[in-house]
Amino acid sequence: MIDLIGGVPLFVLEFGDELVYFTPYTITLFLLALTFTVLVLISRPEKQIDIAFGGDAYRAKEISISEMRFRRFMAIACGLATMGAMVTGDIFNFTLFTAMVGITNVGIVAAVKSPHVQDAAYQYGLVALAATVPLFAGAAVYAAVTGSLSMIELMKGTVPAVPLIAKGMLMLGVIGEGMAPFYAAKAEMFRAPGAPYVIMCSLSSLLIFLRVVEIVMLG
Amino acid sequence: MIIRKISHLLCNYENITRLFAGACLLLFIAGILLLPLPYSEKQLYPKTFDRNSSLDPYDRGGPPFTQVTIVSQYPENSPTAGLVTSYLTPFSLFLSQVTLHLGTTIVSHPGGIIDEILYNTRGLDTVVEATILFIAFAIASYIYRKG
Repeated sequence: MIDLIGGVPLFVLEFGDELVYFTPYTITLFLLALTFTVLVLISRPEKQIDIAFGGDAYRAKEISISEMRFRRFMAIACGLATMGAMVTGDIFNFTLFTAMVGITNVGIVAAVKSPHVQDAAYQYGLVALAATVPLFAGAAVYAAVTGSLSMIELMKGTVPAVPLIAKGMLMLGVIGEGMAPFYAAKAEMFRAPGAPYVIMCSLSSLLIFLRVVEIVMLG
Repeated sequence: MIIRKISHLLCNYENITRLFAGACLLLFIAGILLLPLPYSEKQLYPKTFDRNSSLDPYDRGGPPFTQVTIVSQYPENSPTAGLVTSYLTPFSLFLSQVTLHLGTTIVSHPGGIIDEILYNTRGLDTVVEATILFIAFAIASYIYRKG
């Protein structure tokens, strides 16, 4: 009996032991990530203009083409990683995609040539680096306790129950990879020019959070 | 008032790392207090360790292009699991003959002896792991060239 949290899987894609499955819930998240990735792909980046308060003076920030190109590449990679994390049916695979989202988020902001933004990105990078410990430890405890990594098996309830601490580790790892407040370096990041690319950080963290909530409710 | 204090503390992004470290510490202490955790004897991809093999801990046995038995979750999905898909380069072969520690040199032999690649167990993971590495290299090289 499959526990209907995200809905019945409509379509299962088999990559050996790792099943990629599409339930109504994951399809919705997947389509959101896909739509935004296409938007990033085709949209032109903003030009940031600072206006001096109380006067007419303003100044436009010059952004090089190569920087924008690199950030677009990172944003698309982030979108692909998010899509992967949305539909994967394997705990370890999910943690890998989450780690990839974390590192691409660093890439999106680290390319900006502003010391302040780069400092914030460095701090965020440290958090993302440290977050891999609880993230992968959580997956390891999942594997040790249940003897399986497949979410389908967790759904069916054929494996032992997952201890709370494993869920906590997974959650803390995902939070560290890019969620408020630990990417609150975000507030500084958003000074970085380049609208559609920076928003990818927010969107990916939101989607990953929605997915991890489903995962911790499975076992 | 207290929210204002908290957000004032958090607006300094250097405190974020400390906050995360504190959260990890609390969780790990809780984890230690909740020990022991049950261990399932029925594990995926079990293997026995042969301490005398120079490829330990990656040695599952089998010459190249033969199939060894591997317990996987969905055996029907992976007919090639356990097929030994790789072989040692002449240098690795030399190392494996003179030392017992080739299995620890995973960094200097990328892809050569990683379990997933060698025995074809978890294909998608291998792809994502390599992608993470490439992304990291791309960021590092971009910052190095432009910085």
